[in-house]
Amino acid sequence: MKMHLKKIALGALVFAAALPALAGPMGFKESYMSMGDFSTNWREGFVNYALTSKDAIGAEALYARSDDKRLVREYTGLTYTRLAKRWNMPEAQANVWLVGGVSALKGNDFAGTRTMLSPGVLLDYETTRVYLAATARLYRATNLNHDYASARAGFSFYEVDYDEVQPWFIVEARRMKGLSDKTEITPMLRLIHNRYFVEVGMSTDKNARLNFMFIF
Amino acid sequence: MNNRLIKNFSITILLVGLSGYALAANSTKVTVNGMVCSFCAQGIEKRLSKMPEAKAVFVDLKNKVVAVEAKDGMTLDTKLISHEITEAGYDVVKLEASAQSVAEIKANSKAKK
Repeated sequence: MKMHLKKIALGALVFAAALPALAGPMGFKESYMSMGDFSTNWREGFVNYALTSKDAIGAEALYARSDDKRLVREYTGLTYTRLAKRWNMPEAQANVWLVGGVSALKGNDFAGTRTMLSPGVLLDYETTRVYLAATARLYRATNLNHDYASARAGFSFYEVDYDEVQPWFIVEARRMKGLSDKTEITPMLRLIHNRYFVEVGMSTDKNARLNFMFIF
Repeated sequence: MNNRLIKNFSITILLVGLSGYALAANSTKVTVNGMVCSFCAQGIEKRLSKMPEAKAVFVDLKNKVVAVEAKDGMTLDTKLISHEITEAGYDVVKLEASAQSVAEIKANSKAKK
C-alpha cells in the first residue's frame, strides 16, 4: 500500500513538473458547486452541476491580465468535468479529473470574439493531513496560446472532526503562457468546513489572493 | 392470589421487555474508504439524510465511519445506504448493525479522542 501511495504522489509531482492548466472539481451527484478565484490579475468564477457521480456541466468566466497590465483576456464559456478515475483508500483519496471547455474569448489586442477550446487534466492526492495537486489546461484559440499549469502542495495543522473547521497551509505555483513570464508562487491559508472551502494568501509578488468553493 | 401475582409479574416483565425492544436504536455503522475531508464528505451526509427512513446521520471523519439511525418503527435498507455512499463517490468497506443511537455513537467517538 505504501508503495502504491508513493507511486501516486510521485506521479502527481512528476506531472506537475512536466506539464504546464485548471481543471474544475465537482460536488456529489445532483449538487451544484460554485468556485471563485480572485487576485489582482486573475478573476475567475465557475459553477457546475453534477449530473452523475462522475459528470458535471457548468459555466465559467475568466478575466486575466498580464503582469505589465497591458494585455487583457476575458472569456465566458461552458465546461464539462469528468471524474476519470478515483482511488479510495483507507486513509487517502486520489483522483484524475478531466475538464473540457468551449468559450468566447475577447482581448484588448484583437477585434471581435474568438472561440477558445480549453481541455485540461487535474490530479490530486489527499489525506486528512497532506494535499498534493497538479493541473494542466490548454487555452487555445486562433493564433493564441494561453496554456496554464499549476501545482499545489500543503498540509493541515491538525486533524478535526467532521463538524469542525480545519486549517491548512498550501503553497501554489502557477503559470499562464502569453500573460506572464513568471511563475506565480502563492502561500495560502486554507480553511475547510463541511459547508465551505476558503483560501486566502499573498503571492511572492505581493498580489492578494482569495479562493472559495461552496457546494449546495 | 399467587396465580394473580405471577400473572401481573409476567405482564410487567413482558411490557418492560417490549418497551426495551422498542427503545433500542436501530442504527447501521458503515466503514468507508476515501473519506479524508469534511468538505468532500458532506455529500454522504446530505444523501443519507434524504433517505425517508433516516432519523440521524453522523460522519466520523477520524475513524472513517458513517452512522445512520432509523426513525422509530422503520428499518434501514443497507443496500440503499451502500448505494448512496457509492454515489457520493466513496467505497463501502463494512456494514454492521448497531443498537446504539447516532447520539451515542457520536458521544463514544468523541470520548475516544
